[in-house]
Amino acid sequence: MTSTSDASFQNDMVGGEHSSPPTVELIDITKRFGQIVACDRVSLTLRSGKIHGILGENGAGKSTLMKVLIGLVLPDAGQIRLHGKPVQITDPIDAATHGIAMVHQHFSLVEALTVWENVALGDVGRLDHRHVRERVAQISEHYGLHINPDDRISDLSAGMRQRVEIIKCLRRDPQVLVFDEPTSVLSPSESEFLFAALRRVVQEEGKAVALVSHKLPEILSVTDEVTIMRDGKVVRAGETAGTAASELARAMVGRDVVLRREHAAFGVMDINDKPTPSPVATTAAAPSPSPALRLVDLHITGRDGRALLSGLTLDVYPGEIVGVAGVEDNGQRTLGDVLSSLVALDSGKVEVAGIGVATGRAGAMAKAGIGVIPEDRHDSGCVLDFTVAENLFIADPDRVSRRGFMNVATMRQRAEVLIRQFSINCTGPNAPMWSLSGGNQQRVVMARELAHDPKVLVAAQPTHGLDVGAIEYMSEQLRNAAATGVGVLLISTELEEVLDLSDRIVVIYNGRIVGEMSKGHVDVERLGMLMTGAGESHE
Amino acid sequence: MGNFFSALADIFTNESLYRNAMIVAVVLMFAASGELVAEKAGTINISLEAMMLGGAYAAAVGQARGGVWGGLLLAALAGLLVAAVQANMSHRLSADQFVVGLVLNVLVLGIVGFLVGSNEPESHVVDRLKVPVLSEIPLIGPALFDQPWVLYLVYPVVPAIWFLLYRTRWGLEVRAIGEDPNASDVSGLSVNKLRRQTIYLTGVLAGIAGGYFLYARSGRFEDSLIGGRGYIAIAAVIFGGWTLKGSVAGCVAFGLVGSFVLTIPSLGYKAIDPAFLAMAPNVVTVVAMTMFAKRVRQPAALARPFIRGLK
Repeated sequence: MTSTSDASFQNDMVGGEHSSPPTVELIDITKRFGQIVACDRVSLTLRSGKIHGILGENGAGKSTLMKVLIGLVLPDAGQIRLHGKPVQITDPIDAATHGIAMVHQHFSLVEALTVWENVALGDVGRLDHRHVRERVAQISEHYGLHINPDDRISDLSAGMRQRVEIIKCLRRDPQVLVFDEPTSVLSPSESEFLFAALRRVVQEEGKAVALVSHKLPEILSVTDEVTIMRDGKVVRAGETAGTAASELARAMVGRDVVLRREHAAFGVMDINDKPTPSPVATTAAAPSPSPALRLVDLHITGRDGRALLSGLTLDVYPGEIVGVAGVEDNGQRTLGDVLSSLVALDSGKVEVAGIGVATGRAGAMAKAGIGVIPEDRHDSGCVLDFTVAENLFIADPDRVSRRGFMNVATMRQRAEVLIRQFSINCTGPNAPMWSLSGGNQQRVVMARELAHDPKVLVAAQPTHGLDVGAIEYMSEQLRNAAATGVGVLLISTELEEVLDLSDRIVVIYNGRIVGEMSKGHVDVERLGMLMTGAGESHE
Repeated sequence: MGNFFSALADIFTNESLYRNAMIVAVVLMFAASGELVAEKAGTINISLEAMMLGGAYAAAVGQARGGVWGGLLLAALAGLLVAAVQANMSHRLSADQFVVGLVLNVLVLGIVGFLVGSNEPESHVVDRLKVPVLSEIPLIGPALFDQPWVLYLVYPVVPAIWFLLYRTRWGLEVRAIGEDPNASDVSGLSVNKLRRQTIYLTGVLAGIAGGYFLYARSGRFEDSLIGGRGYIAIAAVIFGGWTLKGSVAGCVAFGLVGSFVLTIPSLGYKAIDPAFLAMAPNVVTVVAMTMFAKRVRQPAALARPFIRGLK
């Protein structure tokens, strides 16, 4: 279906056995889950020596397709061929014996064990630790992964852990490697390292790689071929080289939404030229006298003795969006917890509109005027078994009750207003929260926090796991909030999100702010350096 | 004051202090080494007490027909029987492990009490076996090497447990599932099956612990024979920071404290109320637990049930 001749790729020399059948062919795969068609006659070809990118929004069917390939999901119709021969893949062990391996991103390494112990897990037969150690060292050296077999996983960074995952896979010498969103927890330099290593594996050993991603720049720079999925169908498939980013982006979303984010991320468009998102933001450039939120020298030490916050200082002025950029696990979660009154400070102070707030006392931050959209909406954002109305007023039931008695009619009425105002798609105030989609649950959380007229709105990973439409909506709401004079603190590990929304960007690394740049002076490269701790600036 | 120090010297140079301490320490060691394996895999096995008590009763019944070895075999089977209930209830049917453990402790006590009431088994203490040369070491020689011979069975058990945990694939898998069952599942391990296996092992060892204690200490079965030592063995594992070395040290420490209670009055020191002394081991346990419980790192998934597909 696609032309395989492309002289511009040198690895074509290695993988270009045009006459022999491709390593993997998925032909007309169809999978239904009840009413929903997750994959609708999807075809995909993985070739030896090629990296094949699979791009699509959430729910486009990428994951289902990969699950079919590694035997976690059985297709309703369609055929899988390996080296031209039809096969049945019934479970992951079956897939492994066919030489198909998935590099897991989460839940696959035991932190308390060493590298070699983790690699040996799941093997059978006598435990020969010398042999396993040697093999790990050998693979590590061969691919330049720099992994010591005796290191404990808990001492390794996210990037190093991922290399261990890769070693775990490579040890069984698979022909097909599947990566599912491999860079979601990595810093830019770690991602680069990963792809360099991947490139070596592909070139030297003629392995076929499937790379599932939602990051356009990644797909463009790393893959040889790309398949774009939308609503369970393949909408575009072909060579990556010579394809324009905007073209891919359009195919992925299927309509011309604002793609500032995607553009900004790989520098196609100068972010400096970005239209000003909110009129009030410009006034924020000349700071108004008193910040809405002032964080001074925050220190927190975790139970294990690790410094979670070490001298974090930050001001957020009314009407501006301050984006906290950084790689996961650098203190973002703790910062969110402090502002949700979940943890107390060891030292430092938090002021809202000039008034100090006690930390760690339940509800104190909310009372002082801080609204929080928490990182994990299921865990701490809402109660799934409560109704929409109950969730809307759970933080402050006093608004709909008198002398301790709930006024059900008032609650219902006000909930209806909020549902309309925030266009929450549900059957009514009494709909159980779990019946709502992720995007609508997030709207409920947003509505609740904004209904309290907060001075400060903290949004932690507000668009995590949402589709493009819902992301656009959330972004708009944050801008609107800032426009009405709320100080918005956006904490996100999605760099694109931070770049797109923020008036001012600060970088968090190891529990403190290591750099700051205003919207007009963003240097993506410097940002990347700061995020990885490579370029701690003046501070 | 002089009196006090001479009394202390009296107590600490008394051979029977160490001998009694060792007898108790060993019952704890049998049980704690099994418990350690279960906890490494993620189960706090409260029914240890029931396993030991069942084992002790089975040993009393078995001795009359099959001698000491027959009795110990029966004890191991009794422990295994309790373990089978605990393991399958908590790691197949996903019942709460504590509730199952507590129920078993009460249930086995009731059953044993009933059986003893209706038909008291004939059993007796086994002979002492004096190991030449080694038993001549001052103070600890007799404690370690001039004891009822069943005590010596613990000497190979402890290193065997170490080998099992740290040098075999099964041990690696056990440690993995206690730390991160999800990751282990992804790696292809059968988490709940492994957890059940560790509980079976604990049952066998705890059953033998009960049998050993009957043969080494009293010879005659009473339903108060184990008297909470299952809980103390669990405490020893926690005290030991979930290491084998530490657990053994914990067993010795708790054994020594218990031994003071017997030694002090037997030497004629009546200044301390015996009732107060009897309380001492429990007080020491509580103090030790509060001191050590927070400092050490426990298996990350300890006491958390594993259900596939649950994050």
